Amino acid sequence: MISEEEFTKIYNQLAEKVLRLCLGYASGNIDLAKDWQQETFVKVWNNRKSFKADSSVNTWIYRIAVNVCLSDLRKASRKKSLVDNFQPESEEAPSDTADQIKQLYGCIDKLNRQNKTLILMELEEIPQATIAETVGLKHGTVRTRLNRIRASLLKCMTHGK
Amino acid sequence: MENDQLEKLWQSQNLEVAPDGLNAIFSKAKKQRNGQYIAIAVLGVTVLILIVFTLFFAMDQWNDFSLGLVLMIGSLLFRIMLEFFTLYRKKEQLIALSSKDFEFYLQKHYRRRLMINYVITPLCFGIYIYGFLKLLPYFKAEFSSSFYNYILISGVVSLVLIAGLVLRSVLQERRFLNELRGN
Repeated sequence: MISEEEFTKIYNQLAEKVLRLCLGYASGNIDLAKDWQQETFVKVWNNRKSFKADSSVNTWIYRIAVNVCLSDLRKASRKKSLVDNFQPESEEAPSDTADQIKQLYGCIDKLNRQNKTLILMELEEIPQATIAETVGLKHGTVRTRLNRIRASLLKCMTHGK
Repeated sequence: MENDQLEKLWQSQNLEVAPDGLNAIFSKAKKQRNGQYIAIAVLGVTVLILIVFTLFFAMDQWNDFSLGLVLMIGSLLFRIMLEFFTLYRKKEQLIALSSKDFEFYLQKHYRRRLMINYVITPLCFGIYIYGFLKLLPYFKAEFSSSFYNYILISGVVSLVLIAGLVLRSVLQERRFLNELRGN
């Protein structure tokens, strides 16, 4: 079972990653992403007794986060501005970066749900083995699929399709 | 754009995690748990009352009034319990399954929900109306005509509202299923 201390540590370590992951599903809607992020950690806390150490805690949490975002279909249509909440870390050409981020959301939105999961986790630099376990695919399949998704994302970012 | 720039661009979204996030999570988690306990307690007590009523009181003087009451409460209770069960199962699967299996499960879940909405809900609805009709002659005999009319009108309005809610749920869940199938 996960103790409160462990949970706090996990939250501090993963909260931002989970929020960004949810943001990808919410097409940049920060309020919706925050709802999903909170719901993820509420589920983790309420179900901490049922966690079996046959996978890592991180994999379990990513799995819950992805499933929370996938299952909330009634909220999926509540999409609003993508970059209203966006603040780049550097001051350098902020509008360019903001436009690119907006374009990236648009390109990610064109992917099917599973491919979206794969690329969003990859963009968070989550190890491919963890991605494979979270999604329920073989490691090799994930690697091949990610190569294709990356190529299509880059094409979309460059040519807009 | 270069391949390795994707991660950099994605992570340049400087997101602030709410400082009181943990407290909000603990408080919401507690609220959810309490809500579940209350719902289980209310349902449990209602089932108990219904069983006690049927066994000790209604059986002695079984008539159309007892039948109507048992049919109304029973059909409503059955439908609510079915709702709880399907939602509980979905929550359980969300925690346990990989996203691929969960997506497959969601399709199954919404197909099952449609079956419930098309077959079981109308059946419960019909039984509920039948039970209500059984009670009306007793209400007419016992209450003043104005109060009887109030019961009649409010009963019909409630039924129309429930039918509206069921229809809304059917349309919404059909949309969810189509959305899941489409991707």
